[in-house]
Amino acid sequence: MKISINKILSISFFALMLGALMPQQIMAQRFNHGGGGGGGFHGGGGMPAMRPSINGGAQNMGNHNFNRPAPGPARVNTPPVNNRPVENRPPVNNNRPNNNGHINGARPDFHANVNVYHGGRGGGRAYAYHAHPYRPYSWGPRWHPLGFFLSSLAADAFYFSLANQGYYYDDGVYYEPYNGGYTAVAAPMGAVVNSLPDGYETVQLGDGNYYYYGGTFYVDGPNGGYQVVAAPVGAVVSQIPDGAVDQQINGQDYLVYNNTYYQPVSADGQDAYQVVQVN
Amino acid sequence: MNKKLLAAFIICISVTQLHAQKIDTVAISILDHMSAVIGDLGSCRVHVNSNYDVPSQHLGLIKHADQEEVYMHGPDKLLIKSDGDKGSRDFYYNGKTLSYYSGDNNHFAQVKTPATIMAMVDSVHKIYGIEFPVADFFYPSFVDDIIAESKSLVYLGLTNVDGKECFHIAGKADDKTFQFWISNDAYYLPAKVVIVYTNKEMNPQFEATLSNWQINPSLPDAVFEFTAPPKAKKIKLAATAFKK
Repeated sequence: MKISINKILSISFFALMLGALMPQQIMAQRFNHGGGGGGGFHGGGGMPAMRPSINGGAQNMGNHNFNRPAPGPARVNTPPVNNRPVENRPPVNNNRPNNNGHINGARPDFHANVNVYHGGRGGGRAYAYHAHPYRPYSWGPRWHPLGFFLSSLAADAFYFSLANQGYYYDDGVYYEPYNGGYTAVAAPMGAVVNSLPDGYETVQLGDGNYYYYGGTFYVDGPNGGYQVVAAPVGAVVSQIPDGAVDQQINGQDYLVYNNTYYQPVSADGQDAYQVVQVN
Repeated sequence: MNKKLLAAFIICISVTQLHAQKIDTVAISILDHMSAVIGDLGSCRVHVNSNYDVPSQHLGLIKHADQEEVYMHGPDKLLIKSDGDKGSRDFYYNGKTLSYYSGDNNHFAQVKTPATIMAMVDSVHKIYGIEFPVADFFYPSFVDDIIAESKSLVYLGLTNVDGKECFHIAGKADDKTFQFWISNDAYYLPAKVVIVYTNKEMNPQFEATLSNWQINPSLPDAVFEFTAPPKAKKIKLAATAFKK
């Protein structure tokens, strides 16, 4: 094989030398060296449709058109990646308290003389305030925080329309079309999805069960699905997504995520958060 | 004096034209050979290890990976069993229907498709945005497409990929640079590809190695037929036509 490559190299070197002197002629030779009808190994360009090959055979072997314009969208193995420039990240979740660029530590609002209620459906247990560091949680590589931009969605993303707004649902994350791509948005209340990804929590509150995944609460929906509901006061969850804002109320730190207030608590010896009502 | 001027003029023209598109005839010859072998295959099986970057505003480029076992039987049978960061996913194509199955969610979708593998790959990419990594190697027009896109294409020499000697080819297009490693054996099959997207922020990369090639294996038609597992839910593939 090395011998044959050496031959090719020699021939190519000779061809290149000729090309440097007479580019027009050598281009013409190269285009036609396989034979006028398409040449090359297959004896003709084009794709024989009935040939039992996996792709019908290579085209234009040894008879390539070097002046052909590039095909429209680049097709050199475009990978399924989210490679959208991050500066295009749209402003979503505008109702979220402004954290002024801080993830944890900014205290844009100081709530004094407000009441915090822990009561939930059926009277959930009220946990004592227990300060612990907020560590934004990710539910895996396919989960994305609010505002995350994707240039394309997975093939199995599910499209639905609610209140005249179209959404895509994929692995516990809701997206809206934005700027030629998709951006992760808060789950729309009332939406029903067929399944939740692995890793969701079941939250028992009184006599009922809630399901929690990616900062969204669900109840059992019709036909075995899961329906998005507002965060139930009293529910205790183990993690809060990226994007929560620290707020101080009556001298204690709370976290606000998607308009829901979470109080740091210790539940069964573990750091957790309890949904509370603030007014 | 006039002869010297004429010679300088000819050399200037030659250099200008070579700078416009530097295409190495050795690289073309190797890619042609690879494309010819692939075009002659009646069936094949190959293992693909791919990894790709996902830009993160806070963390920079995050690397993800998938592994695929690809089975093809010309001209109208394809099976891809994929596992990795995108989850456990299978694609069955029998010449009429593409069936998608998510092992993680136990759900599946089926769509009608064109009658050949490459027409199907093109069609589902356009309609549903589904990408089959390294599918470009299997396009009959692969070499033409590379030439059309490339500003330069060069054969760099011999190097090893996973212990196998390969021809190393590098190229540059307007929006990317790319490298191919083609095995230096009787088959000239692709062993590795790397693409760097130079027009994207942070220059994300795609890399795939192709290994364990099986040439013309006997693949029964039943391999490419999808049967929904018990309790699997049927879902709809979201067409990119839904984009607003």
